[in-house]
Amino acid sequence: MDEAQSVVMGISGADIALAAKYVAAGLCMGIGAIGPAIGEGMAAAHALDGMARQPEMQGALLRTMVIGQAISETTGIYSLLIAIVLLFVV
Amino acid sequence: MFEQLAGLLTHLGEKRIAVLNLSGFEIRFDVVYLLMSWIVILLLIGLALLLRRGLRQAVEEKPTRTQAAVDALLGLLKTQLSDNFASERLAVMMFPFIATLFLYVLLSNWISIVPYLSSPTQDLNVTFGLALLVFIVSHVLAIRHKGVRRYLKGFAEPYPFMLPINLVGEIAKPLSHAFRLFGNVLAGTFLVTVIMAKFLPIALPPVLNIIFGLFFGGIQAFVFAILAVAYINVAVED
Repeated sequence: MDEAQSVVMGISGADIALAAKYVAAGLCMGIGAIGPAIGEGMAAAHALDGMARQPEMQGALLRTMVIGQAISETTGIYSLLIAIVLLFVV
Repeated sequence: MFEQLAGLLTHLGEKRIAVLNLSGFEIRFDVVYLLMSWIVILLLIGLALLLRRGLRQAVEEKPTRTQAAVDALLGLLKTQLSDNFASERLAVMMFPFIATLFLYVLLSNWISIVPYLSSPTQDLNVTFGLALLVFIVSHVLAIRHKGVRRYLKGFAEPYPFMLPINLVGEIAKPLSHAFRLFGNVLAGTFLVTVIMAKFLPIALPPVLNIIFGLFFGGIQAFVFAILAVAYINVAVED
């Protein structure tokens, strides 16, 4: 009903802005998640290499890996914040 | 569909702001997260008092279960601190601060698995307050360890023209520290709420709560504490 009406009456600027907001939030999160995902995967892969070579270092490697992953996750968190701001604040 | 989802999410972001008017000064705070913070603090104090009762016994006796559990937790924290701090003296000195930070963030993250309670750490003000605390502690310790001259000179290292970059780097530390915890906890809450309300309200919530509440909450609390250690360590050493 609403959609049919808006098609008949024409789409206003506010509709376009709303649509752009959702598209931008989706793009922001989708593209922003690529970097941290690759980075965390690399950290885990190299930590696994190290653990396979030296199993006695497992504790230290695991700790360093988790911290490194949490730090490389930061950029993903930033894009999440931007997405939230786009959805609920702007 | 979009509007329903947005309406679902905004009740999470809705602020119940109380305004305290002190003769011209306006202090605004969110009542819910203030209450949650106090619940977490009272829980921690209560747990500490409860556990302390179980510890009153002679050394040669066999340790009770509570004693073994508390020993294991404190031992884990202690080894982590002495592994990560530059000097043993610093590790002993900072142990109460870091342990308190860790336990508070851990319980704050875990409390959201109880229905009708929400994590205080999903409010940016709480995490930013904690990060600011770490920032102030690290810089005060740096001044005490190095002296004012060497501390100020540290900003112009390795070359004087790097001063703006060093300053921005110092300011970015508490910001990223706060945003990391806040974003992780908020994202977990969003996911759990959306999936609970939209898809499978019967079977999934326990699993999701274990993953997002207990597992990620625990990791983020650990990371928060370890990063606090790292920031203090970097600020203190040359």
